[in-house]
Amino acid sequence: MPELRGTTKGPVLTRWFGTENLHTLDVYEGLGGYAAMRKALTTMTHEQLIDEVKASGLRGRGGADFSTGIKWSLMPKESAVPMHLVVNADESEPGSAKDRYLMENSPHMLLEGIGIAAFAIRSHQAWIYIRGEYDVPFRRLTDAIGEMRGKGYLGDKPFGADWPLDIRIFRGHGAYICGEEGALLESLEGKRAQPRAWKPPYPAQKGVWGRPTTVNNVETISTVPWIIENGAAAYAKFGTEKAKGTRMFTVSGHVQRPGNYEMEIGKTYRDLIEGLAGGALPGRKIKAWWPGGSSAPVMPGDLLDTTTDLDGIKDVANLKGHPIPPLNIGGRTFATMGGSGGVIVMDDRFCAVKAAHRLLQFYAHESCGKCTPCRVGGNWAVRAYEHILSGEGGQEDINILDRVQAGLQGGRCLCGLGDAAGWVIASSLTHFHKEYEEHALHNFCSAEKAAAVA
Amino acid sequence: MSALSTHVLEEIRALPPQFPDIRTAVMPALDLAQEELGYLTPEAMSEVAHALDLDPGYVEGVATFYTLFHTEPVGKHVLYMCTNISCKLRGADELLEHAMQQAGLKEQGTVSADGLFTVEAVECLGACEYAPMMRLDHAYHYDLTTERIDALIAERRSSPRSGEVAPKAPEGSAPTPRKRATKKKADA
Ligand SMILES: Cc1cc2nc3c(=O)[nH]c(=O)nc-3n(C[C@H](O)[C@H](O)[C@H](O)COP(=O)(O)O)c2cc1C
Ligand code: SF4
Ligand code: FES
Repeated sequence: MPELRGTTKGPVLTRWFGTENLHTLDVYEGLGGYAAMRKALTTMTHEQLIDEVKASGLRGRGGADFSTGIKWSLMPKESAVPMHLVVNADESEPGSAKDRYLMENSPHMLLEGIGIAAFAIRSHQAWIYIRGEYDVPFRRLTDAIGEMRGKGYLGDKPFGADWPLDIRIFRGHGAYICGEEGALLESLEGKRAQPRAWKPPYPAQKGVWGRPTTVNNVETISTVPWIIENGAAAYAKFGTEKAKGTRMFTVSGHVQRPGNYEMEIGKTYRDLIEGLAGGALPGRKIKAWWPGGSSAPVMPGDLLDTTTDLDGIKDVANLKGHPIPPLNIGGRTFATMGGSGGVIVMDDRFCAVKAAHRLLQFYAHESCGKCTPCRVGGNWAVRAYEHILSGEGGQEDINILDRVQAGLQGGRCLCGLGDAAGWVIASSLTHFHKEYEEHALHNFCSAEKAAAVA
Repeated sequence: MSALSTHVLEEIRALPPQFPDIRTAVMPALDLAQEELGYLTPEAMSEVAHALDLDPGYVEGVATFYTLFHTEPVGKHVLYMCTNISCKLRGADELLEHAMQQAGLKEQGTVSADGLFTVEAVECLGACEYAPMMRLDHAYHYDLTTERIDALIAERRSSPRSGEVAPKAPEGSAPTPRKRATKKKADA
């Protein structure tokens, strides 16, 4: 294993990170692991567990911030067919690596969380959908599941409880869209991964194989053992009024110490980027940063004091002194979002137009093709960017980008990928308008010039 | 003569009972086929369909949707080089050019004359704190430099059979294919 980059001995998720062989059951259990699952299965009811997670204020870490306890409570109390917990380990959002960090270093933490969550929602069989490229996490989880079976923590009577439990792994085969929950379930059913048009019945009624299903992110589920062990109140001491706890951030790009950091929600991005990740490279200035993977609208470099609060970050008041981009989420304007926690940092020597071009290539390439604005708009934007960057562009290309971003947003697409592509264009075009004009109208790149002079 | 060997076909036929629905066995089955042949030929896909009692069009539809399935031949070692934003900010584009040159390739996705290499630019591989990075022979390689790439390529030239063998998967979920393509448009 390479050198570990990120938080060790953090408050919740990473409390035992850095311990040698933490990925083995003996070490994990020696530190106190599996106490929570034992407690859950032998002393608590399904309802008590769901209430505890509700009370903790935990919200999903896959990007949508939805209350985990409420999601669990939507599962039926009785079902004629099996019910499933499906863990989303597809992690493909550009800039996000935290789920990998958690699975590689502490696979048993995720598996213990799965044991508790599956029991809470009355499921006997959980599935982990893991992206195909994750070799080490896959091996670690496979070995760890073997260790659990050996100990009897999975099987007919885990911890002596009358609740048979099994955990299965399914490997993905490439395609960003598999992380979207409907597409993920289609993929697990052996189909092409195209998002479902969710209207009732929702996954809690009819999810994978037509059975009641709960989908949760790796980090979300990995947090559960700590909450059950220490209590909802202890967890809720961390965080803000409506966004409790700590969360993982991946910091990448132009910083001194890229890594996966655990930080209390409510601190600022300056605490994260300058405090934990060491700030800009020597002699450089942070020009732009994406708070939550490439899908979270980009922010200008002088706004690092923005809060990591999941709701507060959306407030357009954060954009002090900057124009407000035409961003739309569910009919409301917003500044940006916490998303997946993948924080990408870019300094003054890199061109904002080139960065946006690369991201649009990504969204165009990963569009599943089901909706016209997404399928056509992405490619259209890529061509406009190419034209601008070739030095042959003009105002018309900027206008095209503006039309495309408007067409992608506001519920015109079936899933969040289309909106995200629109947000990338809208936020970049607003905050770095000067660079777009330099390229389109004057065939000039100030970032490249800055890099050349340096 | 079938494209797939008897034992692989047997393994494929044993997959469905492990899943709640037979179709969930399609990808694990295609993994086994690709593992054996290096890539998925039309014959292989139709044999998979036959073994699982599914429509060949359906199986092909799945195989062509996912980027880790190959329907064209690839080199013995595929360098999946991340060129997404975090890696690009740290020099991925130059490294991609360099790797192509060193591997003796003019175009992504093609096979070098010695049959050893294919280079593919891929999207974020979820290891952005180690950018620039790539996946090669079932392992991630971090903090890439031109020197590091040269060394990795040279190692594989001197012992062409050094490709790490895929780990055995647990029940049902078959190992990832030994060779994969990545930059394929998901036709809608
Ligand atoms: C295009 C797209 C990609 C997504 N990718 C992921 C992903 O890789 N991992 C993830 O956990 N959630 C991803 N999500 C969010 C999931 O749809 C879903 O909300 C999440 O897995 C629910 O888990 P949580 O409630 O624990 O956050 C994605 C959503 C969209 C629209
Ligand atoms: S928005 Fe894009 S990725 Fe999502 S369903 Fe529509 S076409 Fe597919
Ligand atoms: S952008 Fe290269 S690993 Fe994430």
